[in-house]
Amino acid sequence: MFSISSSHVTLEVKLGLKVSGRCALAFKTVSGTFFYEMEQDVRRFLGSLQPEFDLAFRTITDSYGYMWIVFESKRIEDLLAGLTATGDIVAEKGFSDQLLAAVFEFANERQGGHQYLIYNYRRNNFYPFVPAGSKSRDTEQEMKMMAAAGEEMPFEKDMALWYPLWDLPLRSLG
Amino acid sequence: MPVYTKKAPWQRRDNGLTARIIVSFAVLTILYLIFLSVLAYVGFGAIPIAVIAGAMILAQWYFSDRIVLWSTGAKIVSREQFPELHDLVERIVARNNLPKPRIAVVNTKIPNAFATGKTPKSSIVAVTMGLMDQLDTEELEGVVAHELAHIKNRDVLVLTMASLFSTIAWYMMRFGMYGGMRGHGRSRDSGGAMALMLIVAIVTWFASFLIIRAISRYREFVADREGALITGKPAKLAGALLKISGTMKRMPTKDLREVEGMNAFFIIPALSGDAFASLFSTHPPVDKRVKKLMEMEAAMS
Repeated sequence: MFSISSSHVTLEVKLGLKVSGRCALAFKTVSGTFFYEMEQDVRRFLGSLQPEFDLAFRTITDSYGYMWIVFESKRIEDLLAGLTATGDIVAEKGFSDQLLAAVFEFANERQGGHQYLIYNYRRNNFYPFVPAGSKSRDTEQEMKMMAAAGEEMPFEKDMALWYPLWDLPLRSLG
Repeated sequence: MPVYTKKAPWQRRDNGLTARIIVSFAVLTILYLIFLSVLAYVGFGAIPIAVIAGAMILAQWYFSDRIVLWSTGAKIVSREQFPELHDLVERIVARNNLPKPRIAVVNTKIPNAFATGKTPKSSIVAVTMGLMDQLDTEELEGVVAHELAHIKNRDVLVLTMASLFSTIAWYMMRFGMYGGMRGHGRSRDSGGAMALMLIVAIVTWFASFLIIRAISRYREFVADREGALITGKPAKLAGALLKISGTMKRMPTKDLREVEGMNAFFIIPALSGDAFASLFSTHPPVDKRVKKLMEMEAAMS
């Protein structure tokens, strides 16, 4: 996942995609004490970062039953550190199977709008997602992202596995 | 002497138009080899047969566009019948200082296109009704530009020349063998010799068939590249290829959170067991072509 700390530069140079300062981690919630404890650990950990790191976070549970931890920071390094550390805590507490995806948001400076790189925890690779209105996507722009950064990071070559994440909660509930 | 005009469909699976063109030319080739064999059998010498073979190759080249139109059912259309298509082609040729080809349409829903013609001036670009239905204007421009690149590169001639080698190979083997047999005695049953000769002819033809396919696949990449340079929009041609091959339809719309439980990610993607098929195919796999086009797009942006 750390490959994004270098390939975001390529995306900016080639496509004018700038890290928007938001990323998110999604994992499936389950009921039970252990899951609750893990959730508390995550909150404690993220709370403890606050004074030193430039990293804000909030949590949202979506209608599919996934918990989203949305991170905001001006620095991609802090975003990445916060997100991966959180993923590690979830995995350490025995919930690695619950981890779904990490989502990195980019702002398109040339055409406007937001584009995403989704990291799939099951496949351990990235794929692009460019929503265009409700339930439709800009495949051309997605292919451009693959062409620009596909060689620099573990990338999902099979486009049939580029599953969308509609209504990403990265921007809502500000 | 096999193949013929270049190109036709784009992809491995729907090979309707290509198949018809290939069958037409393969039948012609077999008839032609049988004819030459008969001539040799009844006692024509090496030089008269060379002259006849040469004349036949020229004839096939000369009539290649008619054979292609006939075998695909493509009809030349006038500006009155398809004004938008004519406008689109004219825009591209005017911008790039190319001669305007004749335009043909094939009445099928399968999206496809091909070009044929002996010289850039007498060439024909054919598109199917399905292609015009499914692609937007810029994508259609990409496809037409790809076909115009084939014409500009004289790919019909290149492939005709390539198939000429197969004839020469056959010719040399035929007379080499004939000479050899004489030395070993003529008691050999002449029917058996004829059969052997035909087998050698077929093997030669098959080898040249594979070589021509390989050349054709390479020319395809070249036409993609030049077609993309003509329009300046490689991503549009890539998009058109994905639509034509049906890949676009397979882009998932179902949410990751919905499919997550279905173990979709543990299914090992079909490894390309297509190595054998790709040997025969006139076109490289769509994903490789799209990848190259998108690399161009990335380099241009």
